[in-house]
Amino acid sequence: MKVLNKKGLSALAAVAILAAACGGSTASTAGKTLTIGVSLPLNGSSLASAGPARDGALLAIKETSIEGYTLKAKVLDHAKEGAHNPDQAAADMLTFVGDETVVAVVGPFNSASGKAQIPVSSEAGLLQCSPSNTAPGLTKGDDGAALRGGRAVNYVRVATTDDLQGPAVAVYAKKNGAAKIYILDSTDAYGKGVADAFEAQFKKDGGTVVGRTGLPTGTTDFSAVATAAKAADADSIFYGGVTSDGAPLFRNALAQAGLGALPFYGADGIYDGTGEGSYVAIAGANAENSYASQAAIENIPGKDAFNTKFKAEYGKDAEGYAFAGYACAQILVEGIKAAVTGGDVTRETVRAAVVDKGSAFETVLGAVSFDEVGDTTQRIISLYKVDGGAWKFVEEINYGN
Amino acid sequence: MAAADVTSSSSSRPFANARLPFGIFAFLGLALFVLGIDQFVNALTLGAIYALVALGYTMVYGIIELINFAHGDVFMVGSFVAMFISSSLLGNEGAITNIPLLAGSVLVLFALTIGVMAIVGALIERLAYRPLRRAPRLAPLITAIGVSFILQNVIQFFFGPTIVTVPQLVPIEWSIEVSGSRVPLLNIFVIAASVALMFALQLFISRTRTGRAMRTTSMDRDASSLMGVDINRTIMITFLIGSGLAGAAGVVHGLYYGNTSFNLGFQSGLKAFTAAVLGGIGNTAGAALGGFLIAFIEVGASAFGYGRWGGAVVFSLLVIFLVFRPTGLLGSHSGDRA
Repeated sequence: MKVLNKKGLSALAAVAILAAACGGSTASTAGKTLTIGVSLPLNGSSLASAGPARDGALLAIKETSIEGYTLKAKVLDHAKEGAHNPDQAAADMLTFVGDETVVAVVGPFNSASGKAQIPVSSEAGLLQCSPSNTAPGLTKGDDGAALRGGRAVNYVRVATTDDLQGPAVAVYAKKNGAAKIYILDSTDAYGKGVADAFEAQFKKDGGTVVGRTGLPTGTTDFSAVATAAKAADADSIFYGGVTSDGAPLFRNALAQAGLGALPFYGADGIYDGTGEGSYVAIAGANAENSYASQAAIENIPGKDAFNTKFKAEYGKDAEGYAFAGYACAQILVEGIKAAVTGGDVTRETVRAAVVDKGSAFETVLGAVSFDEVGDTTQRIISLYKVDGGAWKFVEEINYGN
Repeated sequence: MAAADVTSSSSSRPFANARLPFGIFAFLGLALFVLGIDQFVNALTLGAIYALVALGYTMVYGIIELINFAHGDVFMVGSFVAMFISSSLLGNEGAITNIPLLAGSVLVLFALTIGVMAIVGALIERLAYRPLRRAPRLAPLITAIGVSFILQNVIQFFFGPTIVTVPQLVPIEWSIEVSGSRVPLLNIFVIAASVALMFALQLFISRTRTGRAMRTTSMDRDASSLMGVDINRTIMITFLIGSGLAGAAGVVHGLYYGNTSFNLGFQSGLKAFTAAVLGGIGNTAGAALGGFLIAFIEVGASAFGYGRWGGAVVFSLLVIFLVFRPTGLLGSHSGDRA
């Protein structure tokens, strides 16, 4: 997928100026270009997890045609040096805001980037749908309100939140026999948040947290923490963070400290398939006995049909967040269509069409609707385990509405 | 600037200060007691890697007063060269349990990587720094930052921006029992190899003609030149050795952690640079000491659950040193400076 080049942009600008100069009496002329922005981290270790979300979104956009309009996609990659970069995410959102044809955005992928983007998109009233953000503070409570700056909701997500995901993994770990857990987090919005939620539930169920610390992205030496986990006599490990924060390096350090047999729990940050740079690829044989979750439905209705379609387009199976990315684009497209039907396609009408819709959207994930702060009412957590060098589905927990 | 008598026998060096060995042993004893043997070994291993990288910073600063910001990335390139040699040329996939074969592979790996990196270091000096030797101080500094980016981008181009796995040749199961604790041979090997290289460097600087030329050049380049020292050659040798040591650190990093990535150099470089400043920049023994000190602080922080504060403590210490003892632990003007 190519991002518009400079020439294309200036051509676009010229057309826009021309259109403005001609002074159209109606805002929406026939053949007008509408763009859905796609803002994801798409290189390095981020690509393994976010790539499928992009592919899903682009497929949905490609399949859509709206009478009288040209629907386009514009992809911006905010991974820098192989890892998602919130500053770049915010800058990319500004680029979308500055492009008049952009009426809605799919993304971002990581909660820290969401935190950086929401104030920007909210100010512009630009609708965005994240396939994978899970930090509760992006939408809920005072934190969510502060990010929106008191404006109307413009951010929705199809993934449910870490206040369910963390506890779901905790309950599962407990059931698996974990009693004394050692917790490490990546110190950022996502990593620390999911680890906090995990810790609270694990303690509530009578488990003991024998140690906890945090090491930021870029850390290469995990041996001291692995030894600390050993000294604390932990029987299980939880890591809050993503692969590029160092999850597989921590797993390897644990194996080196003689703790390779302990169950290793993570959330969706390490559930990133088996491609180059993924958790399973880097940890290799040490990845066995690792558990992860995804804040999304696994038993997708019509999964096979979707997979056939996806494979025909990209030559590979739909995995991870491909479904969520597709669903996000579907929802944005529904919003745009509703605005078209209403006769006036602006950022505001598209936003209102999605956020204020009382009924559910029919998506690849099933029926999805949003609550008053933009969180999905499909509250399902799926759990996975590394078995034989690949992630295998274990179970799905439905928290209902 | 430098008061030491370079022609004197250096048998009393590197530790000019008689209280220092006692201080080091007291510190190590305390650290062992506080951390326990497992973490103590972790800290020594990490410190050995920091120290090897720090030596390159301090040698280059000592001789041309350039903070070679690209040195952390030279270390990173070293880890990739080691990975490439080990997995592609020697065809290693994992641990080697046949001892003669293991020893041979590791020796070849060290020799080739050190050789390649020494050449890379000398090339960087020749192409990026020598033309600017008489330029204002800021020019080579900016160039160094430029070289750092070039190295990162070259590695990213060839090996991609993800974490890359490196064969761990020494089996991680091999270990010895020390007072009830399992100490992996891998750690002992890393520490021993690094310390041996540091001693070899110390001997080279203090005992050989070239070492003496390095010391005189660092004190007064013009006077040395008048005395017949080939300045260009001496500076190039300093880069050869510093980069070779960074290559060795790259080998050791790969063997110990089993992975590397293109952005390894930034953080490690910053830590090693801090180590060099803590020890007294320009002072080789000080750089090694600083490397170990930083490792002990970081490991100590992680051991007691304050891992997220490790970096803050290290850099606070740097600020304190710069304010109250700008010459570092051992002072930047000792005679073995090179």
